[in-house]
Amino acid sequence: MIIAERKPMKELLEMVSDVKRLLIVGCRGCVAVCSAGGDKEVAILSAALKLGVKKAGGEIEIHQDTLVRQCDPEYIEPLNERASEYDAVLSMACGVGVNFVADRCPDVNVLPALNTTFYGANLSSGEWKEMCAGCGACVLHLTGGLCPVARCAKSLSNGPCGGSQGGKCEINPDVACIWQQIYDKLSSLNRKEELREIMPIRDWTTAGHGGPRRRIREDLLP
Amino acid sequence: MSKIKGFCCNYTLSVDVEALKREGLVPEELEIERLPCTGRLEVPELLDAFTEGAEAVFVVGCQVDKCHNLSGSYRASKRVKYAKQILAELDMNPDCIEMFFAGRGETEPVVEAARIMASKAEG
Repeated sequence: MIIAERKPMKELLEMVSDVKRLLIVGCRGCVAVCSAGGDKEVAILSAALKLGVKKAGGEIEIHQDTLVRQCDPEYIEPLNERASEYDAVLSMACGVGVNFVADRCPDVNVLPALNTTFYGANLSSGEWKEMCAGCGACVLHLTGGLCPVARCAKSLSNGPCGGSQGGKCEINPDVACIWQQIYDKLSSLNRKEELREIMPIRDWTTAGHGGPRRRIREDLLP
Repeated sequence: MSKIKGFCCNYTLSVDVEALKREGLVPEELEIERLPCTGRLEVPELLDAFTEGAEAVFVVGCQVDKCHNLSGSYRASKRVKYAKQILAELDMNPDCIEMFFAGRGETEPVVEAARIMASKAEG
């Protein structure tokens, strides 16, 4: 899922410093699952902003709502009608949701409440880890399901760099060298000989280096 | 809103707060909200207490391993911890909110918590 975290309160207070009527809109998609922008977080941010604004001697009226998703038009387009009631809409969706509201709701002054951080997995309650870079050219079938693009600090394609020591990455002793893990995984599957095959130079255009990406499925088009 | 707001579960405070005030055991400016369990407290309620004028807020729940609802007071302590983080982000003193634990029906820890938080409100 997409992992995100709330922006620091000071940044958010600065963002809404001229706002008198604010609508905070959460999203029940990924950001609700990673406890960044669901119903609970909307309520907490609302209370925190009210307290922060009051402390600064200001006044703000805040309303709350949470949408099923902010990355599908049917859920966000009603915001167009509600926007006139508010000076701003503070979206607690990931960057996709904020962009989509900005695109689809021309009259909405949309502000981001979160920093969108990565595609990750939930290791335990309150802990998430990056697992995928969304590079658009998946090589997981060659690497035992472990991603060298997202999980190697240098996104190397053909084995570890010289900074791999004792199975750890040189950037941080707490970070495992993913190439060591790929080697161990393929060894346990009796597939380590496959690592002798040199991966070709990657074409990074699929990773967004060729501009914003788009996917079309003809069979699903209206 | 009183200067000091306390949230207590049904099991940690069995005495009328007004009676405690009459005996001078707790500050006059104390307001206690009794809950079935502190585990139902959410962060917004803690922050709202400050917005409504409290200078110090505290929560008294059951001893962690003896919570009537198993993990209610533990959950409350985690929410107090997060409220502290938000207060710090707002340049407010995070020590103005605290979690306390008390045995079933023990009034003394609640009185002590109120006194500690009263001193923080004055400071």
